[in-house]
Amino acid sequence: MSLWTRMMRHEARKEDLQDELQSHLHMAIADRIAQGESPAEARAAAQREFGNVPLIEDVTRSTWGWLGFETVVQDVRYAARQMRRSPGFAMSVIGILALGIGAAAAMFTVVDHVLLRPLPFRDSDRLVKVEEISAKTGRDSGVPWLDLEEWLAQSRSFAQIASYRGLRGRSFLEGKSASLQVQGTAVSTNLFSTLGVRPILGRDFIEEPTGFTAGKNGPVVVLSHAAWRDAYESDPAIVGKSVRINNDSYTVIGVMPPGFAIPEPALSPEVWIPLTLGHEDKERNYMSPGLDVIARLRNGASVESANAEMKTLQEQIAASYPGGDLVELHLEHATARVQSYADTLVETDLRKALLALLAASGVLWLIASVNVTNLLLARGAARKREIAMRGALGAGKGRIAQQFLVEGLLLSGMAAVLGTALALVAVRVSRSAVPENLHVDLSVHLNLIILGALCGLTLLTALVSSAWPAWLAVRSPIEPALRQGGLQAGSGRGQNRTRSVLVAAEVAMSLTLLVACGLLLRTIYTLRHVPLGYRTDHILIAHLTLPAYRYQGQNMVVNLYQPLLERVDKLHGVQAAGYISQVPLGRSFNITLTLLNKDGTNSKAMLKPVSPSIQRIFGFKMLAGRFFNDGDTATSQPVVVVNRAFAELHSPDKHNPAAIVGSRFMNIRKNATTTVIGVLDDERQSTIETPSEPEVEFSLPQLTLGSGFYQPSTVAMDLAVRTDRAPDAMIPEIRDLLRQASPEMANATFTTMDQVVEDSYGSQRLAAHLLEVFGGAALLIAVGGLYGLLAWVVTQRTREMGVRVALGAGRASLLWLVLQQAGWMLLAGIAVGTGLALAAGRLLRGYLFGVSAHDAWTMAGAAALLFVSGMLAAYLPARRAAAVDPMVALRAE
Amino acid sequence: MTRAPEPYRNRIELLQGTLDMLILQTLERRPQHGYGIIQTLRARSAEILQVETGSLYPALHRLERQGWVDSAWGQTEQNQRAKFYRITANGGRQLALSRSKWDTMVTAIASILRPIPEN
Repeated sequence: MSLWTRMMRHEARKEDLQDELQSHLHMAIADRIAQGESPAEARAAAQREFGNVPLIEDVTRSTWGWLGFETVVQDVRYAARQMRRSPGFAMSVIGILALGIGAAAAMFTVVDHVLLRPLPFRDSDRLVKVEEISAKTGRDSGVPWLDLEEWLAQSRSFAQIASYRGLRGRSFLEGKSASLQVQGTAVSTNLFSTLGVRPILGRDFIEEPTGFTAGKNGPVVVLSHAAWRDAYESDPAIVGKSVRINNDSYTVIGVMPPGFAIPEPALSPEVWIPLTLGHEDKERNYMSPGLDVIARLRNGASVESANAEMKTLQEQIAASYPGGDLVELHLEHATARVQSYADTLVETDLRKALLALLAASGVLWLIASVNVTNLLLARGAARKREIAMRGALGAGKGRIAQQFLVEGLLLSGMAAVLGTALALVAVRVSRSAVPENLHVDLSVHLNLIILGALCGLTLLTALVSSAWPAWLAVRSPIEPALRQGGLQAGSGRGQNRTRSVLVAAEVAMSLTLLVACGLLLRTIYTLRHVPLGYRTDHILIAHLTLPAYRYQGQNMVVNLYQPLLERVDKLHGVQAAGYISQVPLGRSFNITLTLLNKDGTNSKAMLKPVSPSIQRIFGFKMLAGRFFNDGDTATSQPVVVVNRAFAELHSPDKHNPAAIVGSRFMNIRKNATTTVIGVLDDERQSTIETPSEPEVEFSLPQLTLGSGFYQPSTVAMDLAVRTDRAPDAMIPEIRDLLRQASPEMANATFTTMDQVVEDSYGSQRLAAHLLEVFGGAALLIAVGGLYGLLAWVVTQRTREMGVRVALGAGRASLLWLVLQQAGWMLLAGIAVGTGLALAAGRLLRGYLFGVSAHDAWTMAGAAALLFVSGMLAAYLPARRAAAVDPMVALRAE
Repeated sequence: MTRAPEPYRNRIELLQGTLDMLILQTLERRPQHGYGIIQTLRARSAEILQVETGSLYPALHRLERQGWVDSAWGQTEQNQRAKFYRITANGGRQLALSRSKWDTMVTAIASILRPIPEN
């Protein structure tokens, strides 16, 4: 029987029952008239004897077993009528709830998109990344092939182990019309099958030989869907064709499905070639290239068990490393760590930040719900008579509670709709505020998880906000409320105290959010004022991608860099232009140098090829000596510049870093030792918070083909231009010059140095902005709640105020009466809130910079802000109380 | 002649199962409408059993749902349209069952209340 038929039948049966009862009544009346009563008397007596018709109908209908649904429909209709009758109340409740639900929904969407993103692999929760951890730095170092061989032989936790390594330098795929920059990765032959993904065209590498032998079919490549689409317009006959990557020929043997990427995330279209091992892989030393290892857990193994096994295994392997000169090598590969692959894709910092923000949005939601509970309590008090009437007419406790819950659900549902709309708008708007490097994908699409979370949140909100009013309504006795002249509406002292406690709770939670917001804002402020050691204004940056393969055998510096620089210099408005391998605080590309010290230990330093003109752009401060100048050419004495951190480590005089000037340094090429000519004062290179790492700078004109540093230096470069003109005007001109120099370079990304600095704040800026919004909303809601409660109290006590005035109380004392109540609530809230804020501060500790988590100034400031806003909000009802006219107050009843 | 107001003290609380049995017994004689059932029960119990409509109609609808009675609209002798209830075969069986249970119960209680014979 369909639902519709059932409903129609139900309506028919209801009418039938009404007819039946009516006919009974008629017969009773007829009998009484037959026995001599007057028609009026008969009717009255018969009805009295019959009883409560609607109640009898209800009870009878309940035996049909379908009453539940009908009552809910009734309640919904009644609730809608109530809302229409008091639209102001309904709108303020819906608005407040929408803020809370919207904030929580928005944060949950972001968390879902970033942390819970499904990976394009089969059973991705069984995929783990296995890394080797250095005992010195705690960070991962690549896995040498020989170690991986041992793992393949000895480990028991994995069903399949695969490996990959990125191709050095930039790769360019020659497409139909232009060269496409691609991300090239060499992968083990079983990588695709480990991930459980099959190509959509052709085959994968499983048939290629593994290990040190090359394939017999020559070099082969598998394209990603994006590469196939962008370079070859999705040519269906691509399999078997020969393509050129960096001037080398490869045969295409397959194409992977769209959305597939390894390693994740794919910044440019990817191509994969089989991993071939070379002679560097045959031994273990500082130069052995590292591999990234991804594995699928065996049935029955868990991440924890695999982690434990690999730790022990790797420690044994490291113990068997060669000693002597390479004694530090085993420290760098001391232990292993197994993590779920998904967990490695998000930086821990970002993960913690997002979870903390989710918690903050939860606090905002709680504040909104408590506020609405307060409002509903007030409303419930006003409806005492109505509820008592229902009880007298036969409504049971369950029915009354159900009515309150349905009202709560209706309000909460509408608030959820509004809140979702707000959340979607907010997410879309803040997409531009999220820095690129966080890889936060805020494309707006709802999935089942988010919808489910939203429904759950709506239900929870309804329950939380209407449970208490419902419980109170059910418990209140019927008779006193119905008595004439009794308290028709209003609450006793007890309820007032409850509501005050709720307001104090809101104040406490708001204080927590405001303090967190304040701490983060101070962190950003401190970060902005850290002296960087160089200028950042009016500098335009281009991240160049260089097709090094085009210049094989030629000196790129002479043939590409220098001419380009001269042309850029000649542009109108350019004050200076220069190259630097990576701008400070940039994240594009850096080269690490490993130096062997005299005592056998090794140390690392960053290598930075720069052009001499860079000093005119950035204005680096020198501690000693000089920077490069035009006199340092390919034929003059080779020189390097180091920074203070390097000098402190390697200076001949341990207490004077400047003494390193003049000492001889490493060979720039055969038989040409460099001399240190200058020491840079410290600058912030990687992040604003961390102090500088050791750095060595070469002058670009001095890097010739014979130099060992030529190759890594010419893979990628940043072009920095100091100019007064607006970027929008300069960028097209520079892009033109780039295109003339080499067509691939036209796709360079441009930014300004100021923007690079902004982006380096990373997630702290995002968190600060979000907390500003949450904190502000919390403040509004809490203060609004305070105002609402006080306005209510004043209205209730109008009569009492009138009596006081009539008895001679001054206006000021009435004002004070109300303000005093407000003051107590605020102080209690602030006291509890301070405790909460201290606890929350501990969670934030790792995130702050330059300000302690218990910073008294921030707490005092936030408390003062709350207190003043609260008192201002309390002033309005207080003024109303003071202005009570005793004549009017005492007359009205 | 006006009827004396029904004295409250004559209302006897009837258990739900007992009421069902009485209704079925009444309907076994002949089909009746709700008003008629109330009148019959009053008359036959000498005014002691005065079933309220609030108990009767839920009971009737419950009996109908359990299949022991069924209903149909008809006309009374006074040409009043009314819903008549009629016992079914299942209802008859249920009535016999209830009666035998009642008899057992009555005998048991009576034997406890019987004065103890002196010896």
